Amino acid sequence: MIDRASPFAKNPKGFVHSLPSRAGLERLLPLLILVVIVAAIMLLAGQLGIVQQRRITLGFISMISVVGLYVFMGNSGVLNFSSVAFMAIGAYVSALLTMRPQVKATFLRDLPDWLASAQFDPWIGILAGGLVAALVALIVGLPLMRLSGIGAGIATLSLLIICYIVLGNWTGVTGGQRSLMGLPTYVTVWNAGLAAIGAIILAFIYQESRSCLALRASREDEVAARAAGVRVVRERLTAFVLGAFICGIAGVFYGHFLGTLRVENFYLDPTFLYITMLVVGGMRSLTGAVSGVIVISALAEILRLLEVGLRLPGLDAAIRAPAGLGDVVLAALMLGIILFRPQGITGGREITLRGLRD
Amino acid sequence: MSNLVPVLIDAFSVGGLYALTALGIGLIFSVMRLANFAHAEFVTVPAYALFVLSAQPTVMAISAAVLVAVVLSLATERAAFRPLRGIDPATMLIASFTVSMFLQRLLVFAFDSRLKPVDPLAFLSGSVPLFGVSVNLLKLTTVITCLVLLVALTLFLKYTRFGLEMRAAAEDFTMSRLLGVRANRVIATAFVLSALLAAVVAVLFSAQTGFVQPRFGLQIVIIAFVATVIGGLGNLLGAAVGGFLVGVVATLLQTYLPPDLRPFREAFLFLIVIVVLLFRPQGLFPARGLKERI
Amino acid sequence: MSALLEIRKLTVSYGRITALSEIDLSVGVGEIVAIIGPNGAGKSSLLNAIAGVVPAAGGSVTLDGTEMLRLPLEESVRHGIAMVPEGRHVLPGLTVLENLRLGATIRTDLAAVKADLEGFLDAFPILRERRGEPAGRLSGGEQQMLVIARALMSRPRLLMLDEPSLGLAPRIVGQVYDMITQTRARGVTILVVEQNARRALSVADKTHVLNGGAIRLSGTAEELSGNPQFEAAYFGLRASVDE
Repeated sequence: MIDRASPFAKNPKGFVHSLPSRAGLERLLPLLILVVIVAAIMLLAGQLGIVQQRRITLGFISMISVVGLYVFMGNSGVLNFSSVAFMAIGAYVSALLTMRPQVKATFLRDLPDWLASAQFDPWIGILAGGLVAALVALIVGLPLMRLSGIGAGIATLSLLIICYIVLGNWTGVTGGQRSLMGLPTYVTVWNAGLAAIGAIILAFIYQESRSCLALRASREDEVAARAAGVRVVRERLTAFVLGAFICGIAGVFYGHFLGTLRVENFYLDPTFLYITMLVVGGMRSLTGAVSGVIVISALAEILRLLEVGLRLPGLDAAIRAPAGLGDVVLAALMLGIILFRPQGITGGREITLRGLRD
Repeated sequence: MSNLVPVLIDAFSVGGLYALTALGIGLIFSVMRLANFAHAEFVTVPAYALFVLSAQPTVMAISAAVLVAVVLSLATERAAFRPLRGIDPATMLIASFTVSMFLQRLLVFAFDSRLKPVDPLAFLSGSVPLFGVSVNLLKLTTVITCLVLLVALTLFLKYTRFGLEMRAAAEDFTMSRLLGVRANRVIATAFVLSALLAAVVAVLFSAQTGFVQPRFGLQIVIIAFVATVIGGLGNLLGAAVGGFLVGVVATLLQTYLPPDLRPFREAFLFLIVIVVLLFRPQGLFPARGLKERI
Repeated sequence: MSALLEIRKLTVSYGRITALSEIDLSVGVGEIVAIIGPNGAGKSSLLNAIAGVVPAAGGSVTLDGTEMLRLPLEESVRHGIAMVPEGRHVLPGLTVLENLRLGATIRTDLAAVKADLEGFLDAFPILRERRGEPAGRLSGGEQQMLVIARALMSRPRLLMLDEPSLGLAPRIVGQVYDMITQTRARGVTILVVEQNARRALSVADKTHVLNGGAIRLSGTAEELSGNPQFEAAYFGLRASVDE
């Protein structure tokens, strides 16, 4: 069944299983290169000041989330606006598990007793955040994965909005419109970088699997893939759940990086940003996902530095900094990349040594 | 009855704005398969024009708002969407997000993100008696304007040469071009009409809310988007009906939901949207010849 | 006879697949020229390239001396080329009358347009009878009549028809071909692409056999039917499709 699907894959020979070890190494090469790049950024961050470290940490968190988005949207070709909703779920789950009971008692009155009185280890929070997000994805994905195209886009957007409204109004459990404060802030550039590497490895293992090969076949031609026996809904669901797991963990890191949760942080702005990062990098490859995050984060940082550097005396920076010219230029640059390279910087290909030499 | 009239006027004044917005999105989608999220800024930017010109006479402010919307929409088409013609709808949708994000940030940069007061239709603040109850004049005007525009648009599409060309392009773009229909002109017409509808929405909606901010158009466009899909993408009548339907359902939920659940009313609305999509993936009134392959 | 349409070394490819390689062809004023050949021979690509639906990879196409390639799609009808694509392509949600009116999109002589419209409605009473109905509801034969009439509403110099007999009952095919010969009688030059070789040969002044992206054989009906190579050329026994 899977063999019949292989003619639809972009590069079938790269996925065939029983290959000699040299070819096997070549297959692993994109992963190795990406991991080395992320590790290099971590080491570089270690040399920089605290402000830069925090920006890079935030970049790693974006990377986890965009990789999670890629696992589903890149491999299936189906629009997905709900990844940030799964980040929110992960963030709130972990917050409820790891905050100190005294803090919970102040803000959250409707928690069940076992939860209100407990404080779990960060590890439990990370795992639970990912798993609950994955579980929700499994439940909502079961019906949703039948949709394609714009319909899937609208349905997942609806999902995001529902999540936003529920979190924003379920005051006794999430704090609602007020900020939820007092999350332990254990996230550093090191553990966020390691988590990003973990997400990349997970996404890579998945994309080399037979399940993902079948999913990619359905991305190229859904009707033909179905005819060849690919169970499209099941393969999509697998990717959706795995992607949600990764996004959930991204959310956990985000929450424990900021120390404060606001539902606004999990709505349209980050959704657009992450999707744009993925598309700018190239939606169809893991290299695209990772490089989109790096390029956009680097551009944003350069523009921010310019903005600070060009600040005129007498201007009130507090108003300009979050909403300045840099944001406008960044959006224009992202639009420019999409206009001139609709397939993204990588054109949807994985990085290879040959690609580096060219 | 007396109880129902205000609810219906409410429902239709909300639904009418959604319907006009859904039509603006549907017009462009039907000719070039672009699901245009930047329509949000086609609404927001003219509303800012009303703010800037709030000291000027109403007629002048509104004319300027319409002009601004048309220029913005044509400029967007030329700069961003024309180069992407023929590319897959998902990428075009994402490009329109980026355009939207760019314009929104431009507004933040120019005006900051705080609320700005606007009241373009201050003279409509009173009430009039209707069926024995007093009805807000602005809401009544909104309902009437929406109905008039729907009729006018229908007549335009049905009986003018431009309208005929647009309907032809919506059915079969290549065949229409073979018959001599100019692609650029049809698409420009769609953008101009879309901008006119957006400008009207900007005037009416800002009169209802009394303020404008950089995300002014976003919420209404998201809901209208949903209405377009629910109605059946590419089907203009479906888009209008979908818009009214969503507005009516939202108002009814607001009125009749138990108070505890009212904050969640939009969650219910979007839940209904998902359910409709699951059972009718092409929308309630699918357009002919436009089915995405399933 | 002077040539209306001149095609020189026309090449069309889709990615790595060559659909037409260096075709030479000329169509004289007032002629009916038929292109026959099996499925996938490149017949539709030829018409689509002339009309500008698909880009040509090389060569030239001139109509009365004017270069047609690289013009936008909607300009070819303005230069006098009307095309009836394969599968007819009525605009199904528009009425019969609206379809006919769209055929005259490029014309500004409104009184004459009105007269032409009435002329077609007289010639095809069924179209008059159903003029207010969506064109998608017509039968296949009626749709074929409609799209030919619609193409003629632009008063073309050259009418191109892609598989006009496809999917029609033999009696209807007869009517369609009567319409083609009548059209030529009114001075319109015709280029028709057909899989139905016998039908095309019966009306054409000149027929070309296209296979594997190249013209294998040319001649009048008598020349071709007497030619022992005809079947081999048509069924591609010698030909190979480049891929």
